Amino acid sequence: MLITQLKSKETIESLAKGKTFIVNCHGCKEVYFAEHEAEELQKELSETNDITQIVTTDYICHPDNLALQLKKHMDKIKDADTVIVFSCGVGIQTVAKYLDDKRVYSGCDTFPLPGFQGVTPLQVDCAQCGECYLNYTGGICPITSCSKSLVNGQCGGAKDGMCEVDKEMECGWERIYRKLEKLNKLDTLKYEPKVRNYWHPDAEQTDAE
Amino acid sequence: MENYTKFKLKRKEELTPFLEDKDNLFILACNKCFKEFEIGDEPECSNLEQLAKEQGKTVVGSAKIDFLCNETLTSKLLQSIVPEEAEDIFVISCGLGIQTVAEQLENPVYAASDTISVDGQHGMALTTTLCDACGQCYLNLTGGICPIVDCAKSLLNGQCGGAKDGKCEVDKNKDCAWEKIYNKMESLGRLDELLAQQVEVRDYSKINHKFINQYVTSVRESRFEGYYGGVHPSEKKEFSENIDLVSFPEPRTVVIPLSQHAGAPADLIVEVGQTVKVGQKLAEANGFVSSPIHSSVSGTVVAVEPRLHPIQGIKTMAVVIQSDGENSIHESVKPAKDLNDITRDEIIELIREKGIVGMGGAGFPTSVKLKAPQKVHTVLLNGCECEPMLTADHKLMTTYPEEIIFGMKTLIKGSGAEKGVIVIEDNKHDAIEILEAKTADIPNIEVAVVKTKYPQGAEKMLVKRMLGVEIPSGGFPTDVGALVANVSTAKAVSDAMQTGMPLVERIVSVTGERIKNPGNYLVKNGTSVKDIIEHCGGVKGDDTTIKLGGPMMGFEVRDLNVPVIKSTNGVIAVETKVSEAVECIKCGRCVDVCPMELKPLYYTKYAPAENWEGMKEQNVMDCIECGSCSYICSSKIPIVDRIKIGKKAIREGK
Repeated sequence: MLITQLKSKETIESLAKGKTFIVNCHGCKEVYFAEHEAEELQKELSETNDITQIVTTDYICHPDNLALQLKKHMDKIKDADTVIVFSCGVGIQTVAKYLDDKRVYSGCDTFPLPGFQGVTPLQVDCAQCGECYLNYTGGICPITSCSKSLVNGQCGGAKDGMCEVDKEMECGWERIYRKLEKLNKLDTLKYEPKVRNYWHPDAEQTDAE
Repeated sequence: MENYTKFKLKRKEELTPFLEDKDNLFILACNKCFKEFEIGDEPECSNLEQLAKEQGKTVVGSAKIDFLCNETLTSKLLQSIVPEEAEDIFVISCGLGIQTVAEQLENPVYAASDTISVDGQHGMALTTTLCDACGQCYLNLTGGICPIVDCAKSLLNGQCGGAKDGKCEVDKNKDCAWEKIYNKMESLGRLDELLAQQVEVRDYSKINHKFINQYVTSVRESRFEGYYGGVHPSEKKEFSENIDLVSFPEPRTVVIPLSQHAGAPADLIVEVGQTVKVGQKLAEANGFVSSPIHSSVSGTVVAVEPRLHPIQGIKTMAVVIQSDGENSIHESVKPAKDLNDITRDEIIELIREKGIVGMGGAGFPTSVKLKAPQKVHTVLLNGCECEPMLTADHKLMTTYPEEIIFGMKTLIKGSGAEKGVIVIEDNKHDAIEILEAKTADIPNIEVAVVKTKYPQGAEKMLVKRMLGVEIPSGGFPTDVGALVANVSTAKAVSDAMQTGMPLVERIVSVTGERIKNPGNYLVKNGTSVKDIIEHCGGVKGDDTTIKLGGPMMGFEVRDLNVPVIKSTNGVIAVETKVSEAVECIKCGRCVDVCPMELKPLYYTKYAPAENWEGMKEQNVMDCIECGSCSYICSSKIPIVDRIKIGKKAIREGK
């Protein structure tokens, strides 16, 4: 799941060269979009730079929808020197593809949140490693719950159950141990270390050999 | 359309030895997300069952679940579907679903599938455009082509030199991203910029555990605030929230429909040519769930004929009255007994006689709620006004706090409740301040401030938020001991008690970005919407939509010759939304925002297929038509319209 953060005001100011057209995408606002900060920033920008239009729409990552939403603004877009998009990276790339001959800039940086579907981020994360380890770890993921993504047990750096990388984070392997202990399945840990082989769907054929 | 299914069953060679020491299996399979939505069987569940049976294992059961990683819905479901004899739980889903189940169940939970890895994340349309969420967008330097996901090596400083004929050396099917970037920058005339720019080294510390955690916590808090689901549309209250309430100029003619409430239309008791006065009854309640209608002006009845109804969209019987401008009050309009002397039954009768119905939108007769056989302990006055743009209830609360409190006292007595709570969303500071001050000395009335979330003002959500209980499917707030009424209704009750005036006028916000002069008006029942818009200077732009009510639940009107009725809380002029519905991609958003915990995506399929049985199975009748699903739909499907079609068919017995 993707969320965005505004780039610094100085960065955005330096991007807004000449006549500037702004597109805001609120499609994933429910997950997170700095709506009010963006509005403030764009208001300030309008005072110093030549902002010809601000359009707020949603789901610009959908090319057909994007075309439909921009349709009535195409005159202003054609006239603009710069288009600044406030959305995730997918949205910006979609606009850049659609407005092929325009300078399309990004007003945001994109960050990941755990969770795929819906709009609610999860407290558990999946790194899509392609070789699920959960069978050996009591259903707690060592890739995402251990800061070092270790697959063969604790690194030894944890203190009082907390990770040495981030003291506010519980040691993933200690959680795994406790969970297996509770399930009376500690012998599961005797599995042979399964080295991560960075399996990829494109490599499926070689994998099946 | 790409298929971004995130998992597939592990290979037989891996599963077979793993199953050896397991038995009495229960198999849970996720119905997958981010692929074209088709109602049909996912084969992987039966493949695993087959494999387990081949090894002589007992499979005690299996279940296929939508959006397995949705903890709220999954945990409720798991309680009822996992049998006691189940020992080992096998889950076919992505890593999120497996971990979610492992957290919920006491049994050992195993992964029967691997999550498919993809370089980066897709958007809400199944295109090949991906974003790696690196936290330091490079697109500004590269003409909108991403070097992180499009270059096999995620290089940031140009081509590796390995590309041949524009194709990547890692994958010959792929274009070299840096060659694409070069060509794009050349065509934009930005080549110098590309070549001269300093390399911006990727800073992996930008994505850190604390930063992500902080967002997860804050987003989850706002998502789960008070009840499951709901959305936070832009409030857009600024157009009219600071404009004082004024009376709308006297209308020359009013058109008063006989059906302004839930239930049977009222029975006409006046004739054409008859002179009537303000507050005079025009039509009598026709049945238990019905309400009388009164005149809002003094003048002459000039016609009784079918006129376009603002909500029903068809012509229904209406009384047309030419005002004489005198506003002479009818003799029936006189104060009721003192609150201390009036009995509960007398209150109920008064509220019925004065034509008071729910003014929040549904128009359900208030007296019917008061008569409910169940014991009511709390009156909840709804001052949330969670619909974006509307400010009618807000203005009412700041202008008539005394009346609202008096109305509340009357409703407490009329329902036999012990206490009353006025619930206001935290974006109406002045209303909260005034009502808190005015209720400070009243022991059984309090003001509750709730965080803004749509549809907070829906009675089921309000009850859940305030009392922590769920109203049973098909039930009413009175089933759990609560009476919910809108603040405007309380004001109408107060008027009926203190002056004897029936419900003949209400506050209407005239707002939206396309209205020239927004405002809040005290409008007489039957005033033309066209006159209101003209009085407010008309609209800006020809791509304007007029709605009665708010942007989420309001009814679009094309013909403005419709009257304001008892439940019209707003007239809004907004930019016309253009959208084209495309296929559902199972993004799961509608399920995540449905406050009734339904799965709206099924209705998008069942309604066009006229599968009314399927709609019933998916509890379509529980839908409150709040519009959260249509609002969030990434495929722009008008879900509520399809739900309404299904509900209508089911009501007609299909």
